[in-house]
Amino acid sequence: MSETPAVQISSLVKDFRGSFGRGIIRAVDGVTFEIAPGEVYGLIGPNGSGKSTTMKALLGLVAPTSGKCAIFGKDSTKVDSRRDVGFLPENPYFYKHLSGEETVRFYGKLCGMRGAELRKRTEEVLDLVDLQAARRRRLGGYSKGMLQRIGLAQAMVQDPRLLILDEPTAGVDPIGSRQIRDLILTLKKRGFTVFLCSHLLEQVQEVCDRVGIIHQGVLVKEGRLDDLISIEDQTEIVLRNATPSLLEKIRNLAENEEGVEFVHTGHPRTTLERLFLRETVQKDSQEDHAPVVVSTDNENS
Amino acid sequence: MSTDIQQTPLFSLRRVFIIAGNTFTHLMRMKVFYFLLVFVMVAIAVNFLKLPHTAGPESVGAEELRMLKSPMIGVMKLFAIILAIVATALLIPRDLEDRTLYTILSKPVPRLDYLIGKLLGVLILIFVGLTVMTVLLDAVLYFRMQSILESWTQAADMLVLQEQWTDADRTEGRRELLSHGVTWSLQAAMFAIFLEAAIIAALALLVSTFSSSTLFTVVISSLCYFIGQFIGDGRDHWLRESRMADDQVTVIASKLIVVVFPDFRPFKAVDEVVAGQPFPPDLIGTLLISAGLYTGIYLVLSWFIFSDKEI
Ligand SMILES: Nc1ncnc2c1ncn2[C@@H]1O[C@H](COP(=O)(O)OP(=O)(O)OP(=O)(O)O)[C@@H](O)[C@H]1O
Ligand SMILES: [Mg+2]
Repeated sequence: MSETPAVQISSLVKDFRGSFGRGIIRAVDGVTFEIAPGEVYGLIGPNGSGKSTTMKALLGLVAPTSGKCAIFGKDSTKVDSRRDVGFLPENPYFYKHLSGEETVRFYGKLCGMRGAELRKRTEEVLDLVDLQAARRRRLGGYSKGMLQRIGLAQAMVQDPRLLILDEPTAGVDPIGSRQIRDLILTLKKRGFTVFLCSHLLEQVQEVCDRVGIIHQGVLVKEGRLDDLISIEDQTEIVLRNATPSLLEKIRNLAENEEGVEFVHTGHPRTTLERLFLRETVQKDSQEDHAPVVVSTDNENS
Repeated sequence: MSTDIQQTPLFSLRRVFIIAGNTFTHLMRMKVFYFLLVFVMVAIAVNFLKLPHTAGPESVGAEELRMLKSPMIGVMKLFAIILAIVATALLIPRDLEDRTLYTILSKPVPRLDYLIGKLLGVLILIFVGLTVMTVLLDAVLYFRMQSILESWTQAADMLVLQEQWTDADRTEGRRELLSHGVTWSLQAAMFAIFLEAAIIAALALLVSTFSSSTLFTVVISSLCYFIGQFIGDGRDHWLRESRMADDQVTVIASKLIVVVFPDFRPFKAVDEVVAGQPFPPDLIGTLLISAGLYTGIYLVLSWFIFSDKEI
């Protein structure tokens, strides 16, 4: 069996009519890309560039003006295509009158689950998003980050092969945000396909295999992340406890070489996110899964 | 790999009931049943109403029972109509605004299932509310009837003794009095209220699929309801006046009007039941068919509009 792509979007165009029928807003303009099964794909772009609209078209929530979308080969305009996909909308909001557990069960039932299967799966997803403690509380009393996490639980309830996440970490604190990132990495390891969009470029960089950059409805760049971000003609060397004289020697060595330019030297910067995490999370309570890329001259002093 | 030969059916009763159940709990947790307290208060208040015993005993009993029934049934009707319009008008715009609809429709849920589920949820709530109130009404009527019957029998026996009444008069009077109590006609009338509410709820559902605000839906649906109270008379009059009853255009136009403004005249039978008239047995079938047709038409139209809606 040749692998059907998890997501197929071809020449998608979506026009919105302006208020009172005046003018036409082209939200998505001829977007074409595919996501292979097991891939994590990130769509990035400025506000209003058409990320959410692309996702909604893929889920059949808006009808494309032209072009086609398909999930695992099934046309998005058909209800069938929604069997194997979970969706977390941006700023999700659920029925306030339900508790966390009831919410997950409700969406599970909508997917045709029931009985022991549903009970087991509810436990699993509540564990995954770390909401066991709040499961009996009404969503009316949930914080924004908790809503985001119950949204994830809801999206994963029928164990779909594809997850579509619209800004999964918006409004979530750095710790929760990192948990969501780890969750996506876990899902990736288990072979799930994830299609996400986010404004947190560092996170996109950490989890995505491929990214697409969309600007004013047009997909301006698309490809493997490694290819997109590596600066081919530069090389980075990280040293610990280097003395100024050593640096001077290296600099001289480099500059004596034909065609080589010494670009800069300095301490590697940690990201703001990592700094925040290092300062807030108890170091001994949890081990850091984040890749360690720090040179630490300054920590000794 | 899951090989999905299985198709998602366009309509699944189970899914409809899941959505209906959710809608029902939603409304329940919005505390709509506090309305029942109003009903109980009315029931208690009307129990203190006593007519001065100036009229003859034969009419007092019936009058008292009517004064008991009338406000209680009025409250029940109010409950059913208000809930049918407001609850329905509230539900879909709210799901749209809160974007709860995104998550529901991104599951394998056909839009038709969603619409039927929402409507059914409201109808179940109205049905449960009306049933509880009917039971209360029956109980109040029953106990009131017992005490009235007691004094009435005494008075009637006296009249027969004084030879003002024959035995036949007494039997007839007793039958007449009992027809104001707990009767099958009364239960049928309560069901007719439910059917009327079902039509209005479906109408409100239709309006809410194209309107952008709850207020608009409430106003339009209420207007249609009030116009529907007398549209039938107007239409008959028009057809007679214009003397073009056989002209196809007029006939079709008049039928179209009836689709937009449902003819609620047959439901007036409820008021006659309050007055002690029996509920015509064949009417219940007519009402059932009419309610089924209207609800069906409105649902199909709603689906038509809703399936193309950008959300
Ligand atoms: N229902 C709608 N009616 C009219 N215009 C819309 C509608 N939905 C989106 N748009 C327009 O389409 C464009 C793309 O919107 P979209 O929500 O897809 O952006 P986005 O990339 O998700 O932005 P953000 O990062 O802010 O979430 C915007 O210009 C927006 O105003
Ligand atoms: Mg968006």
